[in-house]
Amino acid sequence: MLYLLRLEWKKIRKLTSFRLFSVCYLILLPAILLTGLRFDELPPPINTNEVFFMFPTVWQYLGYIGNWLCFFFFGFLSIVVVTTEDSYRTMRQNIITGLSRQQYFLSKFYLIVVVSLLAALYYALCGFTIGYLNTEAIYWHKVWQHADYIPRYFLMCFGYMAFGLFLGFMIRRTGIALFLYLAYIMFIELILRWGIHLQIVEHRSMHFYPMNAVEDLVALPFLEMADEFTSKYGFSIYLQPWEASITVLVYSALFLYLAYWRVTRSDL
Amino acid sequence: MNVLRINGLTKRYGRITAVDELSLEVEQGMAYGILGPNGSGKTTTLGMVLDITHPDSGSFEWFEGQYGRDARRHVGALLETPNFYPYLNAIDNLGIVAHIKQVKAPRFDELLKLVNLYERRTSKFRTYSLGMKQRLAIASAMVGDPEVLIFDEPTNGLDPQGIAEIRNTLQRIAETGKTIIMASHILDEVEKVCSHVAIIKNGHLLASGTVGAIISDDFLVEVAAEDMPGLQTAFETDSRIKKAELQEEGVLLLHLENETPAAAINEWAFSKGHTLSHLRIVKKSLEAEFLEITANQ
Repeated sequence: MLYLLRLEWKKIRKLTSFRLFSVCYLILLPAILLTGLRFDELPPPINTNEVFFMFPTVWQYLGYIGNWLCFFFFGFLSIVVVTTEDSYRTMRQNIITGLSRQQYFLSKFYLIVVVSLLAALYYALCGFTIGYLNTEAIYWHKVWQHADYIPRYFLMCFGYMAFGLFLGFMIRRTGIALFLYLAYIMFIELILRWGIHLQIVEHRSMHFYPMNAVEDLVALPFLEMADEFTSKYGFSIYLQPWEASITVLVYSALFLYLAYWRVTRSDL
Repeated sequence: MNVLRINGLTKRYGRITAVDELSLEVEQGMAYGILGPNGSGKTTTLGMVLDITHPDSGSFEWFEGQYGRDARRHVGALLETPNFYPYLNAIDNLGIVAHIKQVKAPRFDELLKLVNLYERRTSKFRTYSLGMKQRLAIASAMVGDPEVLIFDEPTNGLDPQGIAEIRNTLQRIAETGKTIIMASHILDEVEKVCSHVAIIKNGHLLASGTVGAIISDDFLVEVAAEDMPGLQTAFETDSRIKKAELQEEGVLLLHLENETPAAAINEWAFSKGHTLSHLRIVKKSLEAEFLEITANQ
């Protein structure tokens, strides 16, 4: 495993998109939250900007920002690390040089696990720091009240990256894969869920779509309070965290299996 | 030791059979040329033995199976185009190859000097010319000193100077006694580097054996005179001449066993009563011979 991870590191360490995406993530995650400092008064149900920075709600707001950042930067990264190796034909060369197809696939799989772990650790670090500096009285049970957000955050990042890996291996062309990734998450799945599924059956099964489950792992906090949706349809707008977790794990396993199948079957 | 044994390997792309029941054996120490026109199945064959193309049927075995699935780590290969990470320099790119092959102490400087890239070792791969890319590919194939080297069209797309440089490098490697498998459509290249050759066309093996046995190395001379039929009879009956063929251009092509000065041939003709109006020593027409072998099948 370390052998494959070190190989990946040699490959991406000087990759421009990797450096750019990492720096953007590292800066933007705390920076976007801190722009909240400029909004003293906020409309209900938030009322004050203090919730952004205080335990335990800092986990929710910082997590929601991270949700967008992971969706963009790490989702893109997982596509790019696969498709560029296809267009440079270096994947083919890696196999010729001696890697097995299984090893090649595993190296990408380990990469997304490690990147997701690091992303979640950085989220935890930022969350603790900001929360610590902005909460007047620190009660540890308050600090940990939403700390389950940290593993959920990891799973969220992993879910995006597994989907990116799947598209990368299946489509192989950077531009088309990136376009489909964006289009699916931002439009296609929404149309499927709200335009088709909900019109046919008004049932909470409309939430069990792969990218919706990923988003619900670390969802926009105050929508939970908006209960118009619940009263209209009789079920919550979000999946329960444990439902979302299982859904993401199942879909990710499926995506990764299909990608693996493709890698072992295709001629290069 | 048997380095590579290919047994009835077949690959179909739709209706086209790219490689058809191909069998061949490469022994240790051979410089083995796979010769064939473009699209004859050379790269497909190499792709199959290197695990990047799945064969439809048939089998192959590296090193009599002694390394199992790790055999490719003992093979250095360059297939078609040089494939490297364009944003990395020569050292970093070779580093990835060494990492995959698990080479403990790779001697990059030595290799880069061998292929004349030492001065440019810290330039990014994307800034290299085609010839430099090809030379880096040769260096990368040699990382870890593998037991077998595979080159596929190593001089493709290079200028004459680049071709000469690559061929010199290959010859030097072949002389060290390393096993080389080289695919090419250029006969001259195979003849200069290889000891053994297999000729394939449309995925079929047409002939295989030592270069000397497959490719005749007759000394060829073109002659012409006023009385062509007479000249032909005169030379055909001469024991010093192996073969005298009348060519379409109206000249007579003489095949001789050994190199013979033009003056001597002129003298022979004159002694038989023919004054030559044309006398030209033909550079061994290997390409023509190759075309003949592939056309006859």
